[in-house]
Amino acid sequence: MTRAPWFWAVGALRRVVGIGALLALAAFILGPLATLLVWAFAGTWLFPNLVPDFSLKWWVYVLSNADVGKSIRMSFLSAPTATLISAVICIPAAYAFARLEFPGRRVLLLSFLSANAFPKIGLYVSIATLFYRLDLMDTFAGVVLIQIVNTLLFMIWIPTGTFRGINVNLEEAARDAGAGPLRTFFQITLPIALPGLIVAALFAFIAAFDEAQGSLIVGTPNHITMPVMMYALVLGYPQPVGAVFSVLLSLPSVILLLLAQRYLRAGYLAAGYSL
Amino acid sequence: MRVHRLSKQGALGLALVLPPLLVLGFLVILPAITAVVETLKPPVGIEAAPFANYTQVLGTRILRSDIVFTVVVTLVAVAVVFLLSYPLALYLRFVRTRSTALLGVLFMVPLFVPVVIASFAMITFLVGHGLVSTLLYHVGIDQFPRLMYNATGIVLTEVWVSIPFAVLILGAGLQAIDDALIDSARDVGAGPLRTFFAVILPLNATPTMITLTLLFISIFGSFTIPYLVGGNAPQMLGVTMTAYLTQYLRRAESVTLAVIAFILASVVGVIYVASVSRRERAAR
Repeated sequence: MTRAPWFWAVGALRRVVGIGALLALAAFILGPLATLLVWAFAGTWLFPNLVPDFSLKWWVYVLSNADVGKSIRMSFLSAPTATLISAVICIPAAYAFARLEFPGRRVLLLSFLSANAFPKIGLYVSIATLFYRLDLMDTFAGVVLIQIVNTLLFMIWIPTGTFRGINVNLEEAARDAGAGPLRTFFQITLPIALPGLIVAALFAFIAAFDEAQGSLIVGTPNHITMPVMMYALVLGYPQPVGAVFSVLLSLPSVILLLLAQRYLRAGYLAAGYSL
Repeated sequence: MRVHRLSKQGALGLALVLPPLLVLGFLVILPAITAVVETLKPPVGIEAAPFANYTQVLGTRILRSDIVFTVVVTLVAVAVVFLLSYPLALYLRFVRTRSTALLGVLFMVPLFVPVVIASFAMITFLVGHGLVSTLLYHVGIDQFPRLMYNATGIVLTEVWVSIPFAVLILGAGLQAIDDALIDSARDVGAGPLRTFFAVILPLNATPTMITLTLLFISIFGSFTIPYLVGGNAPQMLGVTMTAYLTQYLRRAESVTLAVIAFILASVVGVIYVASVSRRERAAR
């Protein structure tokens, strides 16, 4: 027989977390997204009609817009570049944090939290003042660097946790059998660590791809990514335009998440976001 | 011999962690220091007073009200997220039914929605002639407070975006609490509320601190949400400093506001790093 949870007897709490709360939460979380999705297929939607006149004309409008095409290309060039650079420099470092003894290891690992400990927009404004001096404003490199800021923490901390979780005996057994350190890493450690590394890369890519506020400051006016384009579309165009573009902008994240679904255990999620 | 091997390993370790550290230094530490140094330089054409930039910014009434507005909106949003997320995390941890499985998926949805899209979705939902007001109109309500382009809109959108973070961190902490401790508290006669305040809350103190501090910093430093769903004035600091930088081309004021934001959030940032550090130590 399972025991009732410890707080179950509190009548008020039980009522709060009852069916009503579930429905309210569902309406609050899904309501805005559902509205947005309907807008994406609306020609016009006049108050107080409950349903719009459906039409695909705004899709044609958005997809034939040259600036939109440019922003899609910019996003698909910059975000993978940022993720790749981040992976190449961070994964060896994560292995070192997990396996090697060196002075200051703990403090250096914690120092990566500093990216999260600053209010982001203040950090971007500071980066911009530095970039002005280095002529990195409105450059591809500047946009990639801004995106890398958002990937570092995922790419260091999730792989460090993954490598720590691998039994050292496995690596030592391979070494005893005569494998060199590199061979051990590539044939034993890496395959076991792969799911964790994929999750880290996925988070890093999504963080880089979705970065908007820093890229707006650093990339304007010639290096506009999709999320930055979205600001202009939200503020200066009819509602359906922003809605259509939102669907386009969500596609990469949704597709990647579906592909990586089996690796996304709640544990990894918590590890990634409690940083 | 052993000392020699250790130092070789130490050198290798440092060499491997050096590249990302350099990037971190270049993109976080150096900009922060540059910003502080820049704000201490006197503005052009004004007699050298050490904190001239700060007195000028803090002497501007609009900027002062933006600072106050930012702190108040942040505190309210953090409180609302926390009060919604803690019960949800408790519910997900201690109740196993079909509706919990559904909730467990539902609350994570905002995690995968870019903030720009989330803000726009909230606009279509809550704006004057949006879905909510349409529905209310059809049930006969056409007088209600404005939900968009003001502080309410900012808070609601921040809450929407932040709930998954808070529930995940709190939930991971609750997961680590041994059921035996809770059962024994109940066996010696503690009621549900007493069990919560005497056992659960203290044992989950570190994740709670991480949640509160992370929420504060991320909401305090947000730009997209107030930019898209906020009103004209007062506005949150993120929007103000970006406008000074990119529209008014007044870099000194912009950087000074950034450093003021750093200072206001610094205590919270230190508590955040200390809490994560404590959890790391406990985990090993």
